[in-house]
Amino acid sequence: MNFFDKLHETFIVDDRWQYLTNGLKITLLVTFFASLLGIVLGFLIAIVRSTHDKTGKLPILNAAAKLYLTVIRGTPVLVQLMIIYFVIFASFNVSKVFVAVMAFGLNSAAYVAEIVRSGIMSIDNGQFEAGASLGLNYPKTMLYIILPQALRNILPALANEFIVLLKETSVAGNIALNDLTKGGDIIRSATYEAFLPLIAVALIYLVLVVALSKLVNLLERRLAKSDQG
Amino acid sequence: MIRVENLEKSFGNLHILKGISTHIEKGEKVVVIGPSGSGKSTFLRCLNLLEKPTAGKIFFEGKELTAMKEKELYAIREKMGMVFQHFHLFPHLTIRDNITLAPVKLGLMSQEEADKKAAELLQKVGLSDKAEQYPNQLSGGQKQRIAIARSLAMNPDVILFDEPTSALDPEMVGEVLALMRELADEGMTMVVVTHEMGFAREVASRVMFMDGGYIVEENEPQEFFTNPQNPRLREFLSRVL
Repeated sequence: MNFFDKLHETFIVDDRWQYLTNGLKITLLVTFFASLLGIVLGFLIAIVRSTHDKTGKLPILNAAAKLYLTVIRGTPVLVQLMIIYFVIFASFNVSKVFVAVMAFGLNSAAYVAEIVRSGIMSIDNGQFEAGASLGLNYPKTMLYIILPQALRNILPALANEFIVLLKETSVAGNIALNDLTKGGDIIRSATYEAFLPLIAVALIYLVLVVALSKLVNLLERRLAKSDQG
Repeated sequence: MIRVENLEKSFGNLHILKGISTHIEKGEKVVVIGPSGSGKSTFLRCLNLLEKPTAGKIFFEGKELTAMKEKELYAIREKMGMVFQHFHLFPHLTIRDNITLAPVKLGLMSQEEADKKAAELLQKVGLSDKAEQYPNQLSGGQKQRIAIARSLAMNPDVILFDEPTSALDPEMVGEVLALMRELADEGMTMVVVTHEMGFAREVASRVMFMDGGYIVEENEPQEFFTNPQNPRLREFLSRVL
């Protein structure tokens, strides 16, 4: 069999390429919604943590947030995924996409939280004082003065987190979710040919990551420009 | 307007203010001078409770700040403007938005009213052409004038100045002092921590000398500078004048 026959055998016969396209859809879907969950939850945790650091308030929420960060960052995402699927949702009939979104979102939230917190803590305390001296309370100061500046500083790190997340979703096959990686694997087990499907999967991830990185660079450059101007 | 009773402030083991009592009347221009580490900035920052006093009481327009809930305190701060040594303008906002942010977000003015007020204030501080620019594009003196305009936008009853010219290049000190002098002439109540002895002599209604956490001497400027009583003040003046 020459190379083109192999290509034909791997992707064209039985429309096997659809394992990759369908898998890609799942991967993108999971990444997108997990990112959303990660952002929302991550920001909330970061605000709790930095409010506690700055003002000493919210001790209970802060302790809970710290515990959450320790557990999530101290255990592998694959283990978390399996616990959520095989333990927490064991007796419920829920969609695997939903489980994956929950697992990767909850995991990502921990990392987003630390990125956002570092962004908030990097803002000069004078900005908080300027807000307070104008009569703006802590939440208003946070919302209108601190977060916009913090967000600008952490945007590259945040974007990088979502690129990592995209790649991390490749372990979702462990709960039999047919994502991109799993799609390649299904082809491999059908054709007994590992090289082509795995390389194809790798290439698709690579193209996605490079494209996303380019986007982030573009964004960074635009922000740098508006910083001067 | 502001009454301070036995104010004390410690940071850990460091006892900065050791019992300050004074009374600042409406329309007064109190200038606070003293060597560094004397507690003058801490005293000023205690007046609007940016620093929480360790002991003592502070009253503003008859209300005790030191006994207040946080929510009431923020309402009080709307009436007590503050100008910082390092300006603390909001770098992500245009000059106009720096001025209008607080009045609009606190619901005191509509955006239109605030914009109009900002235009007036920018004219007053002589920076009308900078409305659309960002703080980073301004010189130090210009930044400080904007910071003053920002605090004026809240129509404060008193403005606290924390070494407003100490971070400026020498050639920019004059423009800021001139603006402060103008405010003083208009009757604004001011408490100014500064090293500008000329300003103290010409603008102050009362000069306060702090050393070692106490108000060591206070007097109207003529008497204060020509006939200082306390030996430490005499020594301080001999070094700075």
